[in-house]
Formats: sequence, C-alpha cells, structure tokens
Amino acid sequence: MPNIRYANMCHWKSIPYRKIDNFRQFYYEDNTNSAYYSDWDNILKYQSALGFDGIEIAPWDLADILPLFGSPEAFTEFARERGVEVIGMFHGAHASHAADHFDEAVRSGREAVDTIVRFGGTYMNTCPTQNYFGTGPLSRDQVQQCAKVMNEIGRYATDRGVKIGLHNEFFCAINLPNHRELIESTDPKLVHYCIDTAQISILGEDLLTFYNDYHDRISTFHLKDTASANQPDSVRYSQDPEITDDGTRWFWEPGKGELDFKGLYRLLKQHEFKGWMSIEYDGSPDMLASMAMTRYYLDNELRPIYD
Amino acid sequence: MNSQALAISLDLINRHYQEPNRNRYESRYFWEELYTLIAASGFSAVEMPYEPVWQFGGRSGVPLNRYCVNTKYGTATEYRAALSAGGIHQVSGVTFDPNLFMRNDNLDFYFGASGHFANEALGHAADMGAAYFAISPSPYYGRIAQYHPDLESKQAAFTERTVQLLTGLAEKAQELGVTLVLRNEYWSLFGGPRILPLLDALPATVKLDVDTASLFVAGISATDFIAAHIDQIGCVHLTDTDFVDTQEVWKSPNPEFPHVQATQVFRDPGTGSVDLAEIAALLERLDYSGPLVCSARQTRDPFRALLRTRVMLNNLQN
Repeated sequence: MPNIRYANMCHWKSIPYRKIDNFRQFYYEDNTNSAYYSDWDNILKYQSALGFDGIEIAPWDLADILPLFGSPEAFTEFARERGVEVIGMFHGAHASHAADHFDEAVRSGREAVDTIVRFGGTYMNTCPTQNYFGTGPLSRDQVQQCAKVMNEIGRYATDRGVKIGLHNEFFCAINLPNHRELIESTDPKLVHYCIDTAQISILGEDLLTFYNDYHDRISTFHLKDTASANQPDSVRYSQDPEITDDGTRWFWEPGKGELDFKGLYRLLKQHEFKGWMSIEYDGSPDMLASMAMTRYYLDNELRPIYD
Repeated sequence: MNSQALAISLDLINRHYQEPNRNRYESRYFWEELYTLIAASGFSAVEMPYEPVWQFGGRSGVPLNRYCVNTKYGTATEYRAALSAGGIHQVSGVTFDPNLFMRNDNLDFYFGASGHFANEALGHAADMGAAYFAISPSPYYGRIAQYHPDLESKQAAFTERTVQLLTGLAEKAQELGVTLVLRNEYWSLFGGPRILPLLDALPATVKLDVDTASLFVAGISATDFIAAHIDQIGCVHLTDTDFVDTQEVWKSPNPEFPHVQATQVFRDPGTGSVDLAEIAALLERLDYSGPLVCSARQTRDPFRALLRTRVMLNNLQN
C-alpha cells in the first residue's frame, strides 16, 4: 500500500445521467463530445483508469447526485463498483465568525458530517468562514468565534470517524493576518488542516515553510499549482476575485505553475505523510485532460521522490 | 413575421452541465464577446434567465441576477449600456424557475425562497426594461415528489400557496409595467392543459407563455393549443425537439434528461421535429403581436446554435 493515495476534488459540473446505455445513439444526435461528459459511469471510470481512487464531493453536488441516485449510499456503491471511493465532502462554515450564528454554523456543520458518514467518507475539508469582502477584517474575538465553531464541529466529526480539515481560500475573511492564529486557536485533537497548495501560496504563505510548521496537523491536501503566489491585499480582499473578468487563471495543474512540489514531496517523505491527496482542477477547461496530465506528472516527477 | 424583432434566450449557454471549456462561461469577458456574436447573428434583443445560484460562492461573472450585474457593472443602467455597446439593444424578458429551492421536505423554505428571489427577479426585469417576466409555476414534478412522496395528497395545498405567490407577483408586475407570464413546461406540476385552471385562478393580467417543444414532448398539438388560447397568450418560445414523452419522464426528478434513454430533449431550433414554420404562420394569421423568443437550451454548441436559429428564421421568411 503506498503512503499517498490520490483522489479528485469533484469540480465536474452537473452530470445528468447515472449510466448511458444508448451511448452510440446519443453521440450521433449531434456528433459532439457531450456524450462523453454526461454520465457518472464514464466520469468515474475516467478517474479509476487514471489512478484516482477517491473522489471528494462538494455540497453543491448533492442537489444533482441525490435525485439521480436516490441516496448517498447508492452513489457510494455505484462509485465503488467502478473502483472509486468517496473520501469526503467539502464544507463552507458560513458566518462562523459571528457569535449570533453559532448554533446555525454548528448545526450546518453537523449535518454535513452526517452526510459524509452516509457517503462513507472520512474527511470534511472546511472553509472557516465566508469571503473577506463585506466581512473582514475580523476582530480577534471573531477569529476566536471561528475557532469555537470549528472545535465544536470537530468534536462531533471526530466522534463519527470524520476528520475536519481547515481549508483556507485566498479570498476568505480568515486571511494572512489571522490564518495561523485560527489554526493555533483550534484543538489539534479535533481540528486538522487541509493544505490547498495554491490557495495558501496565493494567500502569502510559503508552502514548504507552512507544511514544515504544521505537518502534524495536516489531514489531507488539495494539490494544485499556481503562478500567482503572494497576491496583495487589494486582490485578496476584493469582491469575488476567484473568477477573474479576463479569464486569468489562479490555478493550474501540478507542474504547470511555479510551486515547488518536488520540495514538498521531499518534506512529505521527511515527515512520513500517509493519507489521501486530492487533486483539484478548478479553472481547467478540460478536466479529463488535466487529470491525465497530472497523472503523468505524479508518476514521473513526484512519486519517484515519495510514494 | 419580422424576424429582426425576435429575441434569443441566453439559455443557450450551458451554465450548469459539464462539457469541455465551460469554465469560460463564468467570466465577464465571455459574455461581453457573446453579445457581439449574438448581434452578428442578427439578434438585437435577448431574454435572460434569472439564476440566484450565481449570487452564492463569488461567481459573479455570470450576469444572470441583480447581484452579479451590480457587482460587475454597478447598476442595471450601466449593464444595459454595456449590452447596447455589444449590439444588444433590448432585454425582451426575464425568466425564473424555482428548481433550486426544491431541495428538502420543507415547503415553507421552498415558498419563502422562491417568493423572495422571484420578487427580486421581477424587480430586475423592470430594471432591465423587460416587457415580460416568465415564471415556471412549479419546480420539476419529479423533484417535488422526491422530497414530498405524498405530493398527490398535498397538491391542493401546494396549488393554493402557488396561487398566493403568483397573485402577489402579478400585482407587483402590474405596478412595474411588466407582464407576468406562466411558463408551460412539460415537466411542471402545471404542465400542458394543467396550467389552465391555475391561470384562471390568477388576475386577468397574467398570461400564458407557450413553449412549442414542451407541448410537443407532452404530445399536444402546438397549433391547436395556440389557436384555442390565443387571447391568453402573452409570450411564445420557439423551441424544438424530437422527443415525445411516452413513459412519464415528466414525472422523474431530472426530466430534461430522460432516464429511460439519454437524449437531447431541446434541439437547436430548426433541427428537431416541431413544425416551427406552421406555428409562425398561425401566429401571423392570428395577429399575435406579443414577444417571440427563440431558445436553444441544451445546445451542444451555442455559436452554431445562433447560426442554426438564424437559418431557421431565414427559412421561415422564404
């Protein structure tokens, strides 16, 4: 068993079919590649064929997956039959910095944990609160309030075999000035950390230093590259910066940006990381191509360092 | 038929389903180029779906709600100026469907959220200078049944709350000078002729929005339906399809993607089996002068669909 197993963070948009039985006929309706991206049967087989044995779903997938499959358990079984396991789900802990939102933030977090358990997952990577714009800067008390919510959700999750991992975006109200303060204000036994390699680099953390400093808190990774590290406040604190007006991409496939992934893998080896690593392709125009490109890079550049 | 007066719906952009290159659809640059391409294909008016989903999660590059428009352009007026600069001089109408809010077994949530965002969408329609606000009066029948297996027994109560919501919208629409029209999708709780009692329960200012493909899917003659209800029709969507629902797909949770057999339900106008020429001729004979909208929803290629639609309209005139 390798030390690292690879998953995909699900960035597929809605997939309307479970399995297309009339594939050729469907293709011939307009002779386009839509048929290739329209059923979970093929999407999961693409993953499996490229060695991504896990999928991390997102809460916005549920509105489509549940009517299509009937239940989380049915989706999990369908994926398992194709060699893919559901490792967890992303969660946004909206307004967890607000004291008057405590009950709602915890309730919502617990519901997400329950959903993950039904999918058979064990990770809940959690964005600690909403965007900076319109919310930040947070006071020290508000950061502590976030930590309180994370600890509470973390306690519930831990009791059910789920690890919550803080997952920071570069544009969140938890941002460079209070990123580490939040981590250090949470209980290490209950709250872990998911390093999104591109997000924290754009935020202004040095990827290798950050991993070195917090390696014992790291539950999993979102592995993606960037050519835009250390963005200024004016970008990170702006309104809705994730999708740019001119199509500029923040995120690239591993190896297509500027992050030192070989250095990271040497540190993973040093700290003997064991667990899942999710690859993320947000911003990709072609997720299947990105997946194949990434597999080549992993097999030829990173796995020889640490596997 | 003056085909220059027709609008094209922006639902031709496949915002929600997976396909290569769809990431472009979330950035402002894509839409601003699109307007010029729409104009180049002979349309100067567009219809806009109103989609609250883009308000959540910071994806405000998709200009399909008030939040996104205000985020990127400041005001509706400035956005309309940007449209005009791209060759789009009119927003004919705004559409709204409440499927996003049928996501649990709480009807108070559904009616509360749908009412809130429908009101916002109606206000946005007025801001955009739209002539009509086209609302789907229910989510997918099968999506309701997914969360409310006892739907049949709840139908009267559901209808009553729908009437209440739509009556409020009708009053506001009248104040704003916008015509409220009810969409008539085949998958609706109020699809096909089931919409007529609902329409009768609403103020006379509320009109029907005929969708030609939806009638075809339901096995209803569009020409007969239009001829019978011409006085109640406030909008016509020229849509095309090859699909006829013989297996109650309309009752499934994902009815635009038939589970019994994968198919593209809505074909690019002119490439399906709906006799759009006959329908256009009938509308002309009946002196219909309301909005006419072409829609290529579910197209595999929006730019090809624009030109296919123009070919279809050119053929209507010949």
